[in-house]
Amino acid sequence: MTDDDHVFKALADPTRRHLLDRLFDRDGRTLTELESELEMTRFGVMKHLRVLEDAGLVVTRRSGREKLHFLNPVPIRLIHDRWIDKYAERQVSALSELKTRLEERR
Amino acid sequence: MTTTIAQTTQVYQVFIKASAEQIWDAITRPEWTARYFHGARITVTPDHYESRGPDGDAWGDAGVEVFDPPRKLVHGWKSLYDPELVAEDESRVTWEIEEDETGVCLLTVTHDKLEGAPKTAAGVSGAGWTGVISALKTLLETGKPLYG
Repeated sequence: MTDDDHVFKALADPTRRHLLDRLFDRDGRTLTELESELEMTRFGVMKHLRVLEDAGLVVTRRSGREKLHFLNPVPIRLIHDRWIDKYAERQVSALSELKTRLEERR
Repeated sequence: MTTTIAQTTQVYQVFIKASAEQIWDAITRPEWTARYFHGARITVTPDHYESRGPDGDAWGDAGVEVFDPPRKLVHGWKSLYDPELVAEDESRVTWEIEEDETGVCLLTVTHDKLEGAPKTAAGVSGAGWTGVISALKTLLETGKPLYG
């Protein structure tokens, strides 16, 4: 699998997207904190975090005895630059052209 | 509408197909940074970090804590182009470069000590650092800037 495949696969699951949203709200959380907000076993949350880590979307840091989880938004940015910008740009420019034309007729 | 409080420790990581030395040059020399860092001309020496705009205006100025080429760079972060940012506390940026045997490097950028710099924290989060790092990766891997 390519890097993009890992990211798309990681994002294709609602629980993992929920975990990313939780980290977006507040970063640097422990497994215990993340687990307390989900109706899921500790093992289940660990498995999802592992997939996110493999995709590079979560980076862990040790702080004393704790392992903290940080959101790494760079892979999402790379997907954006590669896949979203490219396809959305044409529509945006078409819309802005339409706006200009309509406003000129006034 | 929800308000997002920007994080006081922010971690960014990316794989780049380039040598550690190339990445080190790209983050410490103005002729490189001007091509991916919003046009900023950044010069880093063992004791000083300086950022200047395309017209030579001072954009940033801070001390250097760790200068260990081509592995680790730690410098202060203080923006000078906006009075509100100048009034905030200095924060800290750490660059770590780990090269593997296949010629790919893992670059980790950590921006922390942002507790006394909420406006800076908000400015660098989201599109801030991700844009710079994505543009750096593109420049090193393709030889071309991401934008323009």
